[in-house]
Amino acid sequence: MELIGGLLYGFSVCFTPANLFACFVGVFVGTLIGVLPGIGPVATMSLLLPVTYAMSPTASIIMMAGIYYGAMYGGSTTSILVNIPGEAASVVTCLDGYQMARQGRAGPALGIAAFGSFIAGTFSVLGIMLLAPPLTSVALRFGPPEIFALLVLGFTMVTYLTAGSKLRAVAMALLGMLLGTVGLDPILATPRFTFGSVTLGDGLGLVPIIMGLFGVSEVLLNIERGVTQEVFETRIKGLLPTREDWKISAAPIARGTVLGFFLGILPGIGAIIPTFISYALERRLSRHPERFGTGAIEGVAAPEAANNAATGGAMIPLLTLGIAPNVVMAVLLGAFLIHGVQPGPLLIREHPDMFWGVIASMYVGNVILLILNLPLIGLWVQLLRVPYGLLFPLILLFCIIGVYSEAGNVWDIVVMLAFGVVGLLMKKYGYEAAPLVLAFVLGRMAEESLRQSLLLSHGHFDILVTRPLATALLVVALTVMVLPALAPPVRRLLGTVGEETGT
Amino acid sequence: MRGADRVSSFVLVVFALVAVNEARKLRLGNLSSPGPGFVPLCLAVALALVGMILLWHALREPALPAPPAEPGARWKSVVSLAALVAYTFALEPAGFVLATAALLYFFFRVLDGQRWWIALASAVAVSLLSYLVFARALNVRLPEGPWS
Repeated sequence: MELIGGLLYGFSVCFTPANLFACFVGVFVGTLIGVLPGIGPVATMSLLLPVTYAMSPTASIIMMAGIYYGAMYGGSTTSILVNIPGEAASVVTCLDGYQMARQGRAGPALGIAAFGSFIAGTFSVLGIMLLAPPLTSVALRFGPPEIFALLVLGFTMVTYLTAGSKLRAVAMALLGMLLGTVGLDPILATPRFTFGSVTLGDGLGLVPIIMGLFGVSEVLLNIERGVTQEVFETRIKGLLPTREDWKISAAPIARGTVLGFFLGILPGIGAIIPTFISYALERRLSRHPERFGTGAIEGVAAPEAANNAATGGAMIPLLTLGIAPNVVMAVLLGAFLIHGVQPGPLLIREHPDMFWGVIASMYVGNVILLILNLPLIGLWVQLLRVPYGLLFPLILLFCIIGVYSEAGNVWDIVVMLAFGVVGLLMKKYGYEAAPLVLAFVLGRMAEESLRQSLLLSHGHFDILVTRPLATALLVVALTVMVLPALAPPVRRLLGTVGEETGT
Repeated sequence: MRGADRVSSFVLVVFALVAVNEARKLRLGNLSSPGPGFVPLCLAVALALVGMILLWHALREPALPAPPAEPGARWKSVVSLAALVAYTFALEPAGFVLATAALLYFFFRVLDGQRWWIALASAVAVSLLSYLVFARALNVRLPEGPWS
């Protein structure tokens, strides 16, 4: 009953005009940048962080969350119509979605993507609602050793489930953690790697790094290579999937939802990996695996459900533990902190309006998205025709405004440009940016929690294995590490995912 | 891309070794009470090791002839970067509106090849509009320059 009361309270918070407007703006902007290649949810959310100063804390989190799951909707549109994923979590949707569009079935493909996303988004909100409050009580027992163990699990997930070379992912994670140590030491405030610079004394900012690696580098790469803009010329008719389509897609959507939600909870996974696994799973379960890659509707439905469910799952560690399980959640965490709110086990008690308001807004946002997406698909397609020569200066401009306005320091722009170059080189040489950024965020927390643990135990490392919760988490981490070697089926599944997507 | 792998892993190793050298200057402490330099040193050493393994892998593969130059123009990204750096340092002395209009004019005219008056008009319009939206409507802090 407490749940229903909480949810009703959440809806009453969400339906105030300001919050409803924030929700609408969030999902609208999210869909917009999801459609546009070259700018994703991470860069957009960082960009809009300073804008939220003027808003209420609840409204700003509602808007930020809206951008994230809105982008998941928008990303599928470009995958299906142009074979260009609007953002990374829609890469798999290209495989069958674009084939469907070529066969004149763009309508049902877009339709099932929207409905699949809606169903998954709705269920993941339900999941948060049911799981977050009980997990909060577990989270209250989290001390530094447990946090450290959870972060170790996160790092293992990041590197062992990455699609590309694991060694390279490890290198990037180490680099990210190393960059995270720049600035003042978390326990003793000794300056490290600052070279006497005041800007570096505060540490490298998350926003400049993200904008550089994800925004500027993408633009630079596109400037060099040129962007081909060929919108699939077809009249989109009949967005509603047929009864046959539904029959084929129902079970894949259900499996994609469950898979995406639970994988999304785990630190280090994000929304991309669940889409790969869900696609591979459907292919394995299908009686006609040969249809996949030639326009199978379940190949669109399942991954789209998975990525939307994962966005919901990822909210759980943030709301209950205050730990960002992926890069997007790290930005969202930043948005909480800007308003002086520390997400974590106490959030539900100290800021119930935020906790329940955000959850209810995700439900409302999903309805808005469904209404927004089906009739407006024509508009989004037109948007793809905006010439890149006009678009890229604007993206750069927004990145600069976002980075500068955070602290009013031009050196932050310099840091962003430097990471733009680093990101460009990483893309060219085949290194992924996500492990670096995530390790940058989690690395600081990991060092702090490790050193706090050692202070607690007077220097004995066994504090990490004598507390049951910490031990359990470390055992899971170890299992993740050795599982691929022990269980060939798992390895084969993950292996085929890599081959199918050409990564 | 094997030649490229050699370069990239070599750069990683060099970076890591520089970091090792810097971290050694900090107080290390010991295992039971690590000092400020302890974690950075461990990370830098680990990164150097991983970089060396990557380098070793790259060196064992036969070096393929350099891949054909990618279609497109590297000069465009280099010129854009130079323009962005110049813009960054002009931002506070010149103010947001003027500096941004100049940057956008450069992008529209030089990189996109628009006619000069179209480029100028759109650069000024976008610059003014973004100033009004961000600085005035959304209260974002932007440098005013000499016109404050």
